[in-house]
Amino acid sequence: MANRKALSTRILVYAILVAIAIVDFYPIVYMAVNSSRTSVDFFQNPGGLPDSWRLDNFKALYYRFDVLRLFGNTLLDALLAFAVTIVLSVPASFAFAKLRFPGRSGLYMIVIATMAIPGITFVIPNFVLMSRLGLVDHPGSVILIWAVTAVPSNIFLLVALMRGIPNEVLEAGKIDGISYIQTLARIVMPLSVPGIVTLAIFNTTGWWNDLFTPLIFLQSDDLKTMTVAVATILKRFDTDYPLLLAGLFMTSIPPIAIYIALQGHIKKGLVIGSVK
Amino acid sequence: MHFRTKESMTGYLSLLPAFAALAAIVFYPMVNTFFHSFTKWNGAESHWIGLRNYTFIFTNGELWTLLRNNAVFLLSIPGILLLSLVVSVLLFEEVRGWRFFRSLYYIPTILSSVVVGMLMKMMFSQSGVVNQLLHALGLTDGKTEWLTQVPTAFMVLVFCFYWQTLGQGALIFLSGLSAISHEIFESADLDGAGWWQRLFHITIPSLVPTIVYFTVTNAIYCFIGLFSLVYAVTQGGPGRETTPIDYMIYIKAFQTPDQLGYASALSIVLFAIALLASWVQIRLSNRFQD
Repeated sequence: MANRKALSTRILVYAILVAIAIVDFYPIVYMAVNSSRTSVDFFQNPGGLPDSWRLDNFKALYYRFDVLRLFGNTLLDALLAFAVTIVLSVPASFAFAKLRFPGRSGLYMIVIATMAIPGITFVIPNFVLMSRLGLVDHPGSVILIWAVTAVPSNIFLLVALMRGIPNEVLEAGKIDGISYIQTLARIVMPLSVPGIVTLAIFNTTGWWNDLFTPLIFLQSDDLKTMTVAVATILKRFDTDYPLLLAGLFMTSIPPIAIYIALQGHIKKGLVIGSVK
Repeated sequence: MHFRTKESMTGYLSLLPAFAALAAIVFYPMVNTFFHSFTKWNGAESHWIGLRNYTFIFTNGELWTLLRNNAVFLLSIPGILLLSLVVSVLLFEEVRGWRFFRSLYYIPTILSSVVVGMLMKMMFSQSGVVNQLLHALGLTDGKTEWLTQVPTAFMVLVFCFYWQTLGQGALIFLSGLSAISHEIFESADLDGAGWWQRLFHITIPSLVPTIVYFTVTNAIYCFIGLFSLVYAVTQGGPGRETTPIDYMIYIKAFQTPDQLGYASALSIVLFAIALLASWVQIRLSNRFQD
């Protein structure tokens, strides 16, 4: 088709696409380039290139702001939350997908409807609850809230996938006399790996980027997640733009790395629900 | 029959952990919020004050400012819809490197709204690179204070929203386009339909379900997803002029003493809006299913 089109049209199409690409990508380049400048150099010409490339800002993040600890906090919270959400979601999804019992579709509708409830509308009682349990300013509160609020959408995706598990495989397990827990662990989980990987990507990048829950439940600087730390601790130094940009840049690296490494999975997951 | 009851028991036991957790972290707190929306509450003690929180919300004029702020974002959706459609249709022509463009456009979508907001705040600051560029092009004096005035503060926020949403739009519209069967395009070619005819008679109509999905999910986002962006860029200011409902709930609950009852009532109002939006989504997606 392309060869039939006039050259001028193709140039126009490219011009539009490239213009949008520049607007899309320039801020990221800006963030990367300016994070290795000194603030004096930066303020002389914010749009220019550094007169020398320095890693001082990253060193400051490492020594003064303990950025490794912040990364560690986020990673640990996210991994624990993912473990909890999977333990809660997998048995429920299997029951919805493959078991027959009265009230199944009604209960499933409740789970689906829960997806529509905005998180902020039930945060106040949770804050009161967590402070009674002594979990405010403790990673436990963030882990629990992340894990449980992710359950409905995780069930939604897993149910769709588990419906595709052939019944013969499950029957074979039953004939071998393995228990229900064994069925889940040895048959259902391995067959759901693609879905679980998709959930891992979506849940953990979502949590990595989350501000609201950790902002409210964590107060000590040494417990904060990376995103919250950038928005609160680093913001105290908000006249030092290059330092702030270095922090933003470091916060962006994990999601971008995950995206580049696992593009295929991400596209599949996002498209679910949008077409058909 | 014995087997069926055993299967039922297994089913209920499998659901138990998930439902117990949801009951503790979502359902009970939701009921609790509803109850406290009729009280004056400081977190420890609450006094029943009937509908006073609600009458206050609806009569003090603040709600209309909040809703206006949500509406500004809502009204910006057609713009990003159009932009995403144009980009997707152009990319779908399989220009060389379309995969590269698609990946590039998607990168802003995976960044945290906090990162996007703080980055744009710096770029749009008075001595920032946007002013520098506009000055160099001779368009302004290069001293615009973007975030201290209402129309320009919204422009920055909407720019952030667009910047983050284009990648999502391009991705889902491209997959919508690739779901259209090639035979339809080929038979249109045989009938001698031109590019524009094909666009308006085949491409756009086939994309309607995807357009509905994109519009409704972003409309819901405009009511419940703006918190981080507003926190990072304007903190709701100047005054309350860029404060959407969810940010106001945060201010009243966590930044103002003794306003938890009022914040609960605002939460119920937001909940009702979210419910309405989801209902619209279900109705529309059922209609376009077939």
